[in-house]
Amino acid sequence: MEGISISLSEGGHDREVSEVRVDGVIDTLTAGELEQVMDSLLRRERYKIVVDLAGVDYISSAGWGIFISHIKDVRDNGGDIKLVNMVADVHEIFELLEFDKILHVMKSVDEAVEIFTGRKSDIKKKRVIPTHPHD
Amino acid sequence: MFGRPTKEINAEYPAEEKYLDSVQRVVRQACVSAGMQRKDVSAIQLAVEEAATNIIRHAYLYEKGMLRIRIVIHKKQITFSLIDSGRSFRPKGSGRLDLQRLVDSGRRGGLGFYMIQKIMDTVDYVSTGSMNELRMTKRLDLRADKGTTPLLRRMFSLRFKFSFWTAVIVFIIIASSFYYVNDRTTREIYRQLDGTVAALGSTISEQAGLYMINTRSDVEFDELVVSYCNSNPILERVVLTDTSGLVVAHSDDNRYIRKIYEYPSFADSAILNSPQHASRGAAQSNYLILQIRTGQRVLGLVHVTYSSEAIMSQLAEAREVTLLLTGAMILIGVLGIYFLSNRFVRPIVNITRRVRRFSSGDLETELPVEGADEFFEISTALNEMMTRLRRDRGAAIEREKMAKEIEVASEIQKTLLPRQLPKMKGLNIDAFYKAASMIGGDLYDVFMIGEDKCCLVVADVSGKGVPASLVMSMLRTVIKIYSEGSDSARNTLILVNDYLSGNMPRGMFITVLMAIYDANKRALNFVSAGHNPMLLFKGSTRSVVKLNPSGMPLGVPVTLDGSFSDSLEEIHLQLENGDLFLLYTDGITEEVNRDGKQFGIQRLADFMQEKLKDGHLANIREFSDAIINEVNDFSGLSSQKDDITFVVGQLIPTDVSPPIDESVGAETVDSTTIVELPRDLQD
Repeated sequence: MEGISISLSEGGHDREVSEVRVDGVIDTLTAGELEQVMDSLLRRERYKIVVDLAGVDYISSAGWGIFISHIKDVRDNGGDIKLVNMVADVHEIFELLEFDKILHVMKSVDEAVEIFTGRKSDIKKKRVIPTHPHD
Repeated sequence: MFGRPTKEINAEYPAEEKYLDSVQRVVRQACVSAGMQRKDVSAIQLAVEEAATNIIRHAYLYEKGMLRIRIVIHKKQITFSLIDSGRSFRPKGSGRLDLQRLVDSGRRGGLGFYMIQKIMDTVDYVSTGSMNELRMTKRLDLRADKGTTPLLRRMFSLRFKFSFWTAVIVFIIIASSFYYVNDRTTREIYRQLDGTVAALGSTISEQAGLYMINTRSDVEFDELVVSYCNSNPILERVVLTDTSGLVVAHSDDNRYIRKIYEYPSFADSAILNSPQHASRGAAQSNYLILQIRTGQRVLGLVHVTYSSEAIMSQLAEAREVTLLLTGAMILIGVLGIYFLSNRFVRPIVNITRRVRRFSSGDLETELPVEGADEFFEISTALNEMMTRLRRDRGAAIEREKMAKEIEVASEIQKTLLPRQLPKMKGLNIDAFYKAASMIGGDLYDVFMIGEDKCCLVVADVSGKGVPASLVMSMLRTVIKIYSEGSDSARNTLILVNDYLSGNMPRGMFITVLMAIYDANKRALNFVSAGHNPMLLFKGSTRSVVKLNPSGMPLGVPVTLDGSFSDSLEEIHLQLENGDLFLLYTDGITEEVNRDGKQFGIQRLADFMQEKLKDGHLANIREFSDAIINEVNDFSGLSSQKDDITFVVGQLIPTDVSPPIDESVGAETVDSTTIVELPRDLQD
């Protein structure tokens, strides 16, 4: 079974932007890990979130549900969840499901960070949370 | 309408999330073999995963079950059926989920089904008794039928196809018969022409023979050929030659006379007595050579050139008329077929429209039974099916209503359990209840019936489900009413039985253990209506005794053995500090472990003795938790068979206020809720 690995880094001016890099598939089984990462960000009141989906080739409703259920909370607190580097297959489904009406998609992490801060990005790897792939 | 399926795939998996991958693999293979595009395949996988996850989570509530998947590939569509035998969960919503509302609420419910509806073209949910089927269909040819009236278009195309192919066949038949007739006619006309010319030619050759024998003059020969030419328009030219090849007479010009005859380029001088044909551009040249002979002697040759122009033009005219007629015939035929097919197809259109109406919710619609036998058959069969579906649907609605009612009953039942246990001077009380199913048949109650008296009840209604729960509610109320101010448990239960015996369904009975505790006298009097023995730990002897007064269960009809009141024996107990009594239902003692062994009364009594003999019991809650743990450890992973209920009372010095007095009642309710919670949380 394909697993998931998530790494978290911070960047932008004052390190206010959180970049969540996800690799693998986000399905019923793996969504919990992403959920935990998102929850931890929101608990620390980090609302400017960039989710890099370059390494994700499948997202189930459990995965979409994470973004959709948090987006209002995040925006109410002046932040946003920007999805970047979506692969073609995932983007097709993203549009088919009309999630583009709700979630913002950007081409790259830099672009998203720029939108958040108005500056060029300065993402620095701070820590990496390795997760074990499911079997 | 969709023809025979080209492929059908069936697979079955345990309904567990770890098998989702295998399901996905089967779905992917099916999609690829149906020729779907990559992006569509992953969308389909997504939809199927959602459906399967729903079944695992909601239909089976993570319990054991099977998940069957059937994939049927047709030429124009692919159908995915997910079949389970779990709880029927009709998906809510219509796919027109308001995304914005979902976002605003911060919830996720319905997202999965929304996605399924978005991805698939049609989604149906059929629940028939033991089976639920979620049927999702995706059209394979995306170009087709996205318009507003797919039904009419589809009918049109069927009619069109029928007309087109019939027209093609009619055209081929008429055209080939035309060609055949035309060909035959042409050959016949040529045969006649050749025959006529041959007859004329032989007349000329006979006459020329006579002339040659009599050596007539050139003028006479010339007259002979010219007159024949003039009187027979089909003859273009007639030439007579002698044996040396010199021209004797020429119908065109007498200047050729006595010169060597030159054959036309197409003619073969060796072919005698047989017509030769050659086409010169559009026209055709015909040539015939005949011998002039007298007896055995050849005197010369007659060369006849004749034209088929006249008959050809006649023939062409006739052909034109025939062609026109043929064209008209084909046109009329095709139009006729088209309109006829209209007529034949109309019943199908009607049937389809009605069936659509049926499937869109108008369950009362009936198909018109009309038209040819075949349609009559279809309509009748469909009507039968619709009637059955109507019935099943009614039953399904009934079942759903029932399930809702059970939920409500379960809620009500929870409120029937005492919210708070009374605080008694010198007595600590705790209680525990855990239902085996949504609604249990067990009852416990502890309530004050006077200044210093309280009533403790544990009861087990035979059977389970709604009826048991209803009887239980009644029992609780009746006990409460009759025990008010009562001194004797026996008298109270006799009154309760009198009331119930007239109001209980036949065949149902209740076992009750009822005790009245008097705080001033520190005395307990109790009766058992066919219930499990009470367990009493005597502080003085540090041993457990089983107390089992005789008594028939409530609701049992009067038998030869005597009446209920005769059978009921009351026990009076004088209690002292350190005593502890336990009232329970057979849910504990009949709990079965993996090896099929029952927990049993002895084990319970032994456990109680073991637990209490040292005498340092911090509080009563510790004791009841210990019982719960002991029972759970015993049964292990095997699921609870019956409701587990018990009430425990511990005598403490009257001048000491109970150490956990405040929390006892509240936590008791908690213990009920905590155990039930995991079940509720899953929804």
